[in-house]
Amino acid sequence: MKPVNLLLPFTPVRVRWLHFLVAAQAVAALGLWALSGSRTLPSPLEVARAWGDLVANQGLLVELWTSVKVSLLALALSTAAAVALACLATAPLFMPLARLAAALRFLGFAGLTYVFMLVSSDAIALRVGILAFGMFVFMVTGLLSELAATARDPIDHCRTLGMRHWRITAEVVVLGKSDVILDLVRQNAAVGWTLLTLVEGLTRSAGGIGAMLLNQNRYFLLAGVFAIQATILVVGLAQDALLSLIKETACPWSMLGKETPAS
Amino acid sequence: MTTIHEYTLGERLLTLDNVCVHYDRPILDGVTGHVDNIRRAGRQQGQVVCLLGPSGIGKSQLFRCIAGLQRPTSGSVRLNGSGREVQAGEVGVVAQNYPLFNHRTVWGNLMLAALRRGRSVDAAREACLALLDKFRLADHARAHPMMLSGGQRQRVAIAQQLLCSSHFLLLDEPFSGLDPLVKTAVCETLIDVSTSHELNTIIVVTHDIDCAIRIADTLWLLGRHRDAGGRPAGGASIQQTYDLAGMGLAWDPDIESRPEFHDLAAELKARFATL
Repeated sequence: MKPVNLLLPFTPVRVRWLHFLVAAQAVAALGLWALSGSRTLPSPLEVARAWGDLVANQGLLVELWTSVKVSLLALALSTAAAVALACLATAPLFMPLARLAAALRFLGFAGLTYVFMLVSSDAIALRVGILAFGMFVFMVTGLLSELAATARDPIDHCRTLGMRHWRITAEVVVLGKSDVILDLVRQNAAVGWTLLTLVEGLTRSAGGIGAMLLNQNRYFLLAGVFAIQATILVVGLAQDALLSLIKETACPWSMLGKETPAS
Repeated sequence: MTTIHEYTLGERLLTLDNVCVHYDRPILDGVTGHVDNIRRAGRQQGQVVCLLGPSGIGKSQLFRCIAGLQRPTSGSVRLNGSGREVQAGEVGVVAQNYPLFNHRTVWGNLMLAALRRGRSVDAAREACLALLDKFRLADHARAHPMMLSGGQRQRVAIAQQLLCSSHFLLLDEPFSGLDPLVKTAVCETLIDVSTSHELNTIIVVTHDIDCAIRIADTLWLLGRHRDAGGRPAGGASIQQTYDLAGMGLAWDPDIESRPEFHDLAAELKARFATL
């Protein structure tokens, strides 16, 4: 077999070699952690024990499910609202509104909590509202960047086929950029998990894995904190893989012409 | 030996009436021309006009005006003798990069266009199948445009536009970057399209002189106005029209073997330097 220099950029590598590299580096990282002998960091074994305890005695999986429901609902709402606003923004009248929505990403959540409390009927609605808002402003920003990068050619192409106005928006923005939208959904799903702790911290009584994490953090139960973080990481990666699979299935063209590892 | 095929001219199909496009300087200045229906006994004879001109002369601007994608600063482009200016969608347009919807398959691209003309789904399917067969694309119906070669992509783009335009097809540099064999295939495709309906009218914007003479019945030479000293002054317009049909140089599959072909090509190449 011909030797391959893995240090050179854009070196073609077989997929199974890439999988091997990922696995080897993950094992190496775990090994370093286990052998570090740190007195401040919990060992992998302690984290595993804490995870078992959280599952058996503190309902980690139930709290996780509570958070997953909030996260998915917020993701669906924010995606629908952001795509709708991006479509509206193809008409000049609505562009300022979309830009304003994108600008709101600079606002601190702490300052918005009171407003959301006023309009929310219960703790879950409050969580979903704040989380959806946080995802929405970032997704609108991403979609507006995509709109700005839209070339004249596809719009002209639509016109030559007799399409007009909103039909062009549907073809170029919704269908033509569905792969980009799904990528943004993936990013937003990740953003959602990072915001979840903050949001669930506002109403800890309603449970959730974020609230559980804050409680563990409060009492310096580092093994528990690591166990919950690891759980969130695994769920997040699984969700990301699922969204990636959905994108590849729904938008097979998005993979064409891209630099990919040799099979 | 020159063979002049018998033909007569019928109704007016396309009118360019003093088309001007100005930005910070004039680009097109008084482009005037027309295309009439060519009638030949016993056959469906469409029209092929090639617009020749050097790079940067304003061919693309005129292309956009004829396609209805851009309003001229003054003047007008009209179809079929109507007083109304051309609208986007009335003229099929195949741009240089063969635009297709990459998120749709070849079949999806064609069906989208076929349904735009108000056909029923069954009629649209029939029309698409016929064109897939005609353009030798049946095996690629399920492929996405990114999976096609340049030539296949061009044929899909032409088929898509034929499905929803009203007999007018405008092509921008269809011979650019092609090898001689593929150029011949594209020429044959265009001749085939032009002879498949009496009213089919193809306008090809190109700077490929040989291919233009091979397929056209009329050549328009687009060039800049010049002052008394021969320096470019103002925008471009059609400087000369070559009636190849009248010269006996149209519709001849062996045109390249005739000395008149080479004489005309040499003349046009010489003219390019002064356009």
